[in-house]
Amino acid sequence: MKNAQLPHDPYNLVISGVGGQGNVLASRVVGNMLSQKGLTVTIGETFGGSQRGGSVMSHLRISSDLAYSPQIPKGRAHVVLGLEPSETIRVLAIYGNRDVMTICNTRPIHPVQVIAGELEYPDLQNVKKWVSELSKKAWFINATDTALEMGLPILGNIIMIGALAELKALPLDREEFEKAIRLSMPADRVAINLEAFDKGREMMA
Amino acid sequence: MSYLTEGQPGGRYLLMGNEAIARGALEAGVSVAAGYPGTPSSEIIETLSRASKERPIYVEWSANEKVAMEVAAAASFAGLRSVCAMKQNGVNVGSDFLLHLVLSGTRGGMVLVPCDDPGALSSINEGESRQFARLLEIPLLEPGDFQEVKDMTRWAFELSEEIRNLVFLRSVTRLSHASGNIVFGELPENQPKAHFKHDGFILDPMEGIVVSAPVDYKHGQQQEKLRKAIALFEVSPFNTYAGPERPELMIITSSACNLYSREAIKLLGLQDRVGLLKLGTTFPLPPQWMEKHLGMGESFLVVEEVIPFLEENVKVLAQELAPVIGIKKIMGKRDGHLPAVGELNPDLVVGALAKIMEMDYEAAPESYVKRGQELMSFGAPNRELTFCAGCPHRASFWSIHNALQMDNRQGFVCGDIGCYTMAVLPTGFSTLKTLHAMGSGTGAASGFGKLKPFGMDQPVLSVCGDSTFFHAAMPALFNAIHNQSDITMVVLDNSGTAMTGFQPHPGLTVDAMGKKVPAISIEEVCRSLGTKVRVCDPFDLDTTRSVLLDLLEEDGVKVLILRQICALSPEKKMKKLFDVAVNPEVCLGESCGCNRLCTRIFRCPGLIWDKNLGKARVDEVICAGCGVCASICPAGAIEKIETKEVTGI
Amino acid sequence: MHVFGPNELLTDVRDKDLCIGCGACVNLCPYFKNHKGKTVMIFPCNLSQGRCYAYCPKAEVDLSELSLGYCGKPYDGSALGPHQEVRLARAGGKMQPGRFQAGGTVSALMTYAVDSGLIDAAVLTDRDGLVPAAKLVTESREVLTCASSKYTAAPTLAAVNEGVRQGLSGMGVVGTPCQAMALAQMRSNPLQSEDFRDPISLVIGLFCTWALDTRKLISFLSGRVDTQRIKGMDIPPPPAEILVIDLGDEKVEIPLHEVRTLVPKACQICPDMTSEFADVSVGVVEGRPDWNTLILRTQKGEELVDGAVKNGYLVVEAMPEANLDHLRFAAQNKKKRALMKAQEEGLLNNTEEGKRSALRIDPAVVASATA
Repeated sequence: MKNAQLPHDPYNLVISGVGGQGNVLASRVVGNMLSQKGLTVTIGETFGGSQRGGSVMSHLRISSDLAYSPQIPKGRAHVVLGLEPSETIRVLAIYGNRDVMTICNTRPIHPVQVIAGELEYPDLQNVKKWVSELSKKAWFINATDTALEMGLPILGNIIMIGALAELKALPLDREEFEKAIRLSMPADRVAINLEAFDKGREMMA
Repeated sequence: MSYLTEGQPGGRYLLMGNEAIARGALEAGVSVAAGYPGTPSSEIIETLSRASKERPIYVEWSANEKVAMEVAAAASFAGLRSVCAMKQNGVNVGSDFLLHLVLSGTRGGMVLVPCDDPGALSSINEGESRQFARLLEIPLLEPGDFQEVKDMTRWAFELSEEIRNLVFLRSVTRLSHASGNIVFGELPENQPKAHFKHDGFILDPMEGIVVSAPVDYKHGQQQEKLRKAIALFEVSPFNTYAGPERPELMIITSSACNLYSREAIKLLGLQDRVGLLKLGTTFPLPPQWMEKHLGMGESFLVVEEVIPFLEENVKVLAQELAPVIGIKKIMGKRDGHLPAVGELNPDLVVGALAKIMEMDYEAAPESYVKRGQELMSFGAPNRELTFCAGCPHRASFWSIHNALQMDNRQGFVCGDIGCYTMAVLPTGFSTLKTLHAMGSGTGAASGFGKLKPFGMDQPVLSVCGDSTFFHAAMPALFNAIHNQSDITMVVLDNSGTAMTGFQPHPGLTVDAMGKKVPAISIEEVCRSLGTKVRVCDPFDLDTTRSVLLDLLEEDGVKVLILRQICALSPEKKMKKLFDVAVNPEVCLGESCGCNRLCTRIFRCPGLIWDKNLGKARVDEVICAGCGVCASICPAGAIEKIETKEVTGI
Repeated sequence: MHVFGPNELLTDVRDKDLCIGCGACVNLCPYFKNHKGKTVMIFPCNLSQGRCYAYCPKAEVDLSELSLGYCGKPYDGSALGPHQEVRLARAGGKMQPGRFQAGGTVSALMTYAVDSGLIDAAVLTDRDGLVPAAKLVTESREVLTCASSKYTAAPTLAAVNEGVRQGLSGMGVVGTPCQAMALAQMRSNPLQSEDFRDPISLVIGLFCTWALDTRKLISFLSGRVDTQRIKGMDIPPPPAEILVIDLGDEKVEIPLHEVRTLVPKACQICPDMTSEFADVSVGVVEGRPDWNTLILRTQKGEELVDGAVKNGYLVVEAMPEANLDHLRFAAQNKKKRALMKAQEEGLLNNTEEGKRSALRIDPAVVASATA
């Protein structure tokens, strides 16, 4: 099987968000895409109780030969795909470093304590500033609103995968995406997912 | 994942650990699978149920783990291979049966797969199943990477048939719920015929009766079986060593800690100085193989989760071998090199290694870490766990909490295990006041309800879910009724085992394999016990509260069933009952008369407090359309309009 | 008036066991509820100022200010409070006989008030077993369903608040002295809300020496009578010293000294026996079981009584001096006892920084009333 080139081995990707955003699906799709290319992939996730409105993280370890631990060591992420702004900061603080590249969805999901008026949710301008400060380079896209326009809020995570593909740090192409999405979705959903993937790529321009 | 059954032998697939266990069981020709939902194990049975459409396998979600073990054991007695899966607590629940099973022995290969949860990521304990292998004196296998998860599962059935006894295959969250690349093997063609031979010579393990007595004879047989297992472990490919011949330090590890340790060694660049001894067969330890490797060095670090099980077993062996190999320094949890509680990760192992090898290690530049922590404190507000938007528990606990306040006698609720466990938090108005194991809520309440003669005048309630009712709460209910305890038992019936992913249970009309089956009615069970039963819709707040206030005044056992389907139920998913919106003209916001009841107290994630407008509004992405918030708004500002079954996804 | 918030209400009233369960704080918001006579706060509210505190008759009640606002005169500590005259009264020919307590004056006045359109709705107190319930009625025949005295503290004002929430105005209320005081505070618009309109047209106050705690009464009587059969209760005038429970076919007598243990602590600091902040006040008359004492206070009250008499709802007579003296004596005694108790408990006229009071009265008035 042909092994694609990786900028680092292992290459560490964190997908972070809030329970229910489709974090797990996104990590499976990306994992399958890379696995199909002959790379060795380990995915670590947080499940169960944390899904009830809690923070969720998927850690993807991508290597040409070894299976790495499902948890990325602190400070060793190469790319952070943040499905939610405050979760992006949370992940960068623990797994980020000066060279990390970050793609951040700008639609907030308010923690219950913010809704209840006990905690403050940071101003989006500040979030952008801070995410940029903690990254080598950062992109901000409004994946959720675009997904809402397409009629399905859950497509936000697929749009983010498109954006990640456009980064070209990992060998993620449209063909592999289509194959991977067919594994996870019913046939009548494939078209709209491809559309979302393409939108994500466009939004990185 | 239909590729679980359709995947090619030799093909490489990205699978979750639990799926790999299912595949391993299928490759071993398993015929029967039983379990009870419990994170992180549930996907094993779920995956096998999907596979049951294509493979000849019977899959069952049993009423509880003990029954699941008994069901799987029956298959084994009839000569079939069976697998039983559960979270760590399940072993505790079924341990009395296991104690007798391991004396009686098994016939067809039987593998018990406990999935532990170090760090309590989805549990309210971080108990261990490994000690049961020691207690019950049976072989324990721990896969150390994803390929092993599948391969060891398959081999476990062979081992079980070699020794004619149960085998434990222990997984952890970070393997069960993590994913990795796995190469498939072959699926068998033949299926054995089920027949329970019981009329042969009474002590014949394959043809006699299956009993645990005579105890000293059977216990002696068990020791033989362990010796057989040890012989196989001495040559097992699942015990590996990688590293220098004379390592300065050798890490001894098992399970997911193998991956952490391997990575830690790499991160510190110690591949030529530190060896990695990975054990896949962790009980009983193979003494010759251990002797060879313990003899290779002087210093060892045992890396495992959670309790120092492996460490203590290694130390016992090391002591016995000392006259031959000398005295060794064995570090681990007992001396504080690794934390005694919580799960491990590469950084913790790096910390221990760096300390022992006297090296420095920086995860990320200090200034970055410092700035990151600072920004996290105001950029990443904490995410408290909360009931989903549209969850009937939020409505139930609203009514229970308010009824108890209005009753004003310091009444309390004994909690139980399920999504509603979260009612110990503000999301459930901090209503639960005791919390232990499955069924313990009603058990504790039964006890509290007998304390009137000692001056107790507080109303006593318990809550339990529909699945928990069948799992464990019934004996407690019988106890309360028979002993005339004064309690109100509230059954929160959301039609499924919700917290773990909506598996069926005896109260539903569908089984694990999707077949239609008879449902057992909770209210009929309770009525047949002669106790007072009421059924309400928790979304009807006024009626629920009024019924509760009445029940709190009565003596004896009262059962209130609050029935409303889970917001995430596949039947209901995303179908909003109502379109809900806040009318900002009417919303009172922070003023006297409201003070943000919906966002500050009710705390449904579908409602947002807009500080700029000073009004509440509905988040249409999150709102599930249950309409309950419209009932609580004191100004009548929340409007709800019935939908024509709009599907969200 | 110093207005504080719900947290202070909890500290000052609930924690000091001074809540009388009048209902003034109930139905203003979702947080205060009354169940079986007990007012509780079901969730915390952290506002620094609230109507709950402002209306509560046991929290920072400034009687001088209140009196000036109500009748234009300072609070003088006199026995019966400001009034025009005191009469004897009883229901007139227009009213059906036999269905009310003593003279039936309250029922007669309220029936007339509804029939004549003087009020749009009447807020009364009904009873379910021993549990009092606030009731809002709009038809005069419904008034009689609430006839008969309830000796338990009732959350009547919860119905007033509910009426206000529904946009009602022109309400007539029958209440106890503490309830009349709460209404007077409410009508003074204490939070200075711009769109405030007075929803009350008429207040009929009742005489009250003390009330009984509902839950304690239920517990007390449950052992002795079937509480569902209770048709009515009566405390005949002295020297009887009994509480009479009417079960229809029999009457059960209970010595008052046993019943007094069921009196809420709040009543001990109440200086008002005759509902001084009402338009008219009604009570019993010693020696005249079929009549009532009727105190006319405001112009509104006089118009009410004149109209009722002219139209046959009410009959009035002169009040004998001896009865009037007894009334004054009893009322003055209650005032004296209450002010002394309030002083003793540190609930009166606190001046220290941050120390709140239940009552504020001109110290000179206190001195002369407690002499």
